[in-house]
Amino acid sequence: MPMFRRILIANRGEIALRVIRTAQEMGIETVAVYSDADRAALHVRRATHAVHLGGSKPSESYLDIGKIVAAAKRTGCDALHPGYGFLSENEDLAQACKDAGIEFLGPPPHAITVMGDKVEARKAAAKAGVPLVPGLQEDVDAARLVAAAKQVGYPVMLKAAAGGGGKGIRIVREEKQLVEAFELARAEARSSFGDERIYLEKFVTRPRHVEIQVMADKHGNVVHYGERECSVQRRHQKLVEESPCVALTPELRAQMGKAACDLARSVGYVGAGTVEFLWSEGRFYFMEMNTRLQVEHPVTEMRYGVDLVREQIRVGAGEKLSPVPEPRGHAIEVRVNAEDPDKFFPSLGTLTRINLPGGPGVRLDSAMYRGMEVTPYYDSMLAKLVVHGADRDQAIARCARALRELRIVGVVTSLPVALATLRAPAFAAGDYDTSILESIDRKPTAQHEELAMLAAAAARFLGAERAGAAVESAGAARASAPRWAMVGRADRLRRTGP
Amino acid sequence: MKYTTKLGGVEREFVIERHGDALQARCGDKTFALDLRLVGDGSAFSLLVDGRSYDVVADIGREEVALQMLGQRFVVHVEDERERAAHAVAGNKVGGKQELRAAMPGIVIDVKVAVGDAVEEGKTLVVLEAMKMQNPLAAEAPGKVTRILCKKGEAVAAGALLLEME
Repeated sequence: MPMFRRILIANRGEIALRVIRTAQEMGIETVAVYSDADRAALHVRRATHAVHLGGSKPSESYLDIGKIVAAAKRTGCDALHPGYGFLSENEDLAQACKDAGIEFLGPPPHAITVMGDKVEARKAAAKAGVPLVPGLQEDVDAARLVAAAKQVGYPVMLKAAAGGGGKGIRIVREEKQLVEAFELARAEARSSFGDERIYLEKFVTRPRHVEIQVMADKHGNVVHYGERECSVQRRHQKLVEESPCVALTPELRAQMGKAACDLARSVGYVGAGTVEFLWSEGRFYFMEMNTRLQVEHPVTEMRYGVDLVREQIRVGAGEKLSPVPEPRGHAIEVRVNAEDPDKFFPSLGTLTRINLPGGPGVRLDSAMYRGMEVTPYYDSMLAKLVVHGADRDQAIARCARALRELRIVGVVTSLPVALATLRAPAFAAGDYDTSILESIDRKPTAQHEELAMLAAAAARFLGAERAGAAVESAGAARASAPRWAMVGRADRLRRTGP
Repeated sequence: MKYTTKLGGVEREFVIERHGDALQARCGDKTFALDLRLVGDGSAFSLLVDGRSYDVVADIGREEVALQMLGQRFVVHVEDERERAAHAVAGNKVGGKQELRAAMPGIVIDVKVAVGDAVEEGKTLVVLEAMKMQNPLAAEAPGKVTRILCKKGEAVAAGALLLEME
């Protein structure tokens, strides 16, 4: 099968740029799609072609399957890359591409459907012999519940089938509380979700989020590229990812890799996918499979020296998987989001200044540019900083060093949280779980606070001084003066005024 | 010029004077030799304190200076001596009106209180959605809700007044 001539990227931001870069290296043309807000976005400027989709709301552009497939047809694309987010795990887009004779660079629609449904995915995992969190899912009543809880061991969790995002979950520590808790949970579920189905799961203590990167071709070959640990998260949003995971033994890694490959094979998987597991006390349990390229895929790329997008494109074109290289060293990724580091509140604005990190072992995946406006329409992620080091200590030190080099002015970023994580003793020791962000002490030292106060006073002094000079030169270029000078000038005017 | 700075409950007074190219800062009985240079066109500075180098990004507002330095973000309250004198005359207002404004453009997902409700500090008043995230906006001090100026489903601009309390 010949290689593709032109690929449409049904996405925006850094992932669209990521795909464009590899396509360019492979000599494949790219078609960017964009919304009103993204006319001047980097993915539009870097692609060979660009098609306007519509309004800035995702539903009017990046989520409109009809417009996207029409754009692909009109521009003569023979493949489509969905990126992550938006329509990347939408079986209708995969099917629409198939119907239009365009290669969807992801799994077949059936695999997306199965893995997109919690219950079906669990069944598929059980059938493929992948360990699940023990519990009782079906025909739950008080008597069966007591027996099941005894079997899996306390503490246990009662979860509302219709719940999600942490809602409708109850932890039960002793048998004598179980039946009462069940009745309460059921009543709660009925009133909150209109669905009283409750299921029981073993309470997994100190869980770590460990996922396996898999890749499959159309010839029945499935390989994995080891794991990524993504336990540093806030409200299920990952912030720092690393590979390898310090908690895994070679045996466990092999078992998890095999389980992930078996699951992919069982659903006829093609392309890149990630099987997410919970790790606890030396055991692992299936969580879900993401049927797309993940945000954090560069962690794997750095450690294995592989280009996963290239592999996606190659297997999409019908080629066989390349051999998996030997992994080496340690890789860490940090996501930099436009959000308040204390309240995790999104921060909007125009990026007035950007200093990018450099030096050995540093990679920055980002579509930001000076003058870019951060709008409320899309995800708040500005950049992914990825580093590679000979070992974990070097990678942590390198990541902290590069983070200190990265400066973004115009919006507030989550960068200080990432830096505090890298400095935290629990992270350095590798002894952490998904609750690590709650326990990190981010209070600056008294010495740092004093320096900040000194710097603030000095900056105000310099601002007032320069504004004074500006007043003396009779208001030249008044309109273009930066904001700090305006503040200083007001000081000065008041002082010299009547 | 004398500056009073506040950060995290700590207050420090700095006296800054220029001596040719160099600045000198005094704080209590400590003296620092400063060299502060603007880099480029706006908010980036190179700061030398007794020869130690700090790369600083500062957004300088009238009362607050937001800094990125030492891998952290600091928002320092700064007053020069004249501002301090003016504030001392005005005195501190106790109680009074509280306003809840939208810090960013977004969509009002929920209004959790009604006019007349007595609320405690930290109570969620309005939930605002922006950038796919739901953000609870909480009361900064206890009080009574006197006016509600937004409704569920409404799109609001940055700075829009959402609610008033007393």
